[in-house]
Amino acid sequence: MHASPLSWIAFGSALIAAAILVHYLVRRPKLTAQVKVTLIMGLGVFPVLTAMVGNMEGLAATEHHAFCGSCHTMDRHLEDANDPDSISLAAIHSRNNKFGDKSCYVCHKDYGMFGYALTKLGGMGHVYMFLSEFAWYDMDEALPKIHIARPFKNENCMQCHTTTGHLWNGVSDHRGLLDDLRAGETSCVSAGCHGYAHPFSKPDEETPSDAEVRSTEVTRSSEET
Amino acid sequence: MIKRKLEELIDTGSRSRILVYACSLGLIGLAFMVWSLFDQGWIPVMMAMSVGQVIGTVSLALFILVIVIDLQRATFRPSIPPEPPKPEDD
Repeated sequence: MHASPLSWIAFGSALIAAAILVHYLVRRPKLTAQVKVTLIMGLGVFPVLTAMVGNMEGLAATEHHAFCGSCHTMDRHLEDANDPDSISLAAIHSRNNKFGDKSCYVCHKDYGMFGYALTKLGGMGHVYMFLSEFAWYDMDEALPKIHIARPFKNENCMQCHTTTGHLWNGVSDHRGLLDDLRAGETSCVSAGCHGYAHPFSKPDEETPSDAEVRSTEVTRSSEET
Repeated sequence: MIKRKLEELIDTGSRSRILVYACSLGLIGLAFMVWSLFDQGWIPVMMAMSVGQVIGTVSLALFILVIVIDLQRATFRPSIPPEPPKPEDD
């Protein structure tokens, strides 16, 4: 079991509720007021406590590597992130304590006001895609088909790499592209810059920036009209 | 139709049978919730937060139904008994 105090609270309350319910099912006592009060503890109070604490633990679990890697289609992403010899962006960041075993979540989460909820909604989209399509593919079939839903935002990189530090600005390419990077016109993870975070997954492709995707969409919509 | 079925259940339903369903469903719901504490993969976590909680809610709803049936069938007596008739004066 995931050994946190909250997990133990959830587990304990589930055990108490189960004991009450099994006792009722085995003994079948007469439905007196006392039995009703006991049953409301077993069917209401303790299960609700288990569910609430379980939700907190469940949502916390969704931020960890183990959760992201529990779909077989993410096996190689996880292997690479955990590989101490890999020099991919994902692996380099996963070796950093600030990311640790939450590196998938820390890099891919939405940092906006409703970021947590939006990230979880995006995760539901992944579940739908997995169940409707990717669950039936083996790794080799799935890998070329896996794409990030939207271009990776530079803002996510900028949560740590603020673009204001001396070291960062000491790199001439950074200085030259500063406005483009801040505006998302050039992607930090494009092939000419830092490369893909998961380079094994699509070696022959270019990563478009946010702006490139937007302009493609505008062109497409104007062509349609 | 659902309303009619519910009314029929309230009138004729066996409380002990409904409670057996409630307790059994409660145990199944708890099993789903506890599963996610032991295995934090996407299937257990999502099952706990969806199927487990729906089953748990249904079990609680069945218990509330039993309480409603109890209240429907209860015969309420006033707490103060009526005064006995006064003996007629001779």
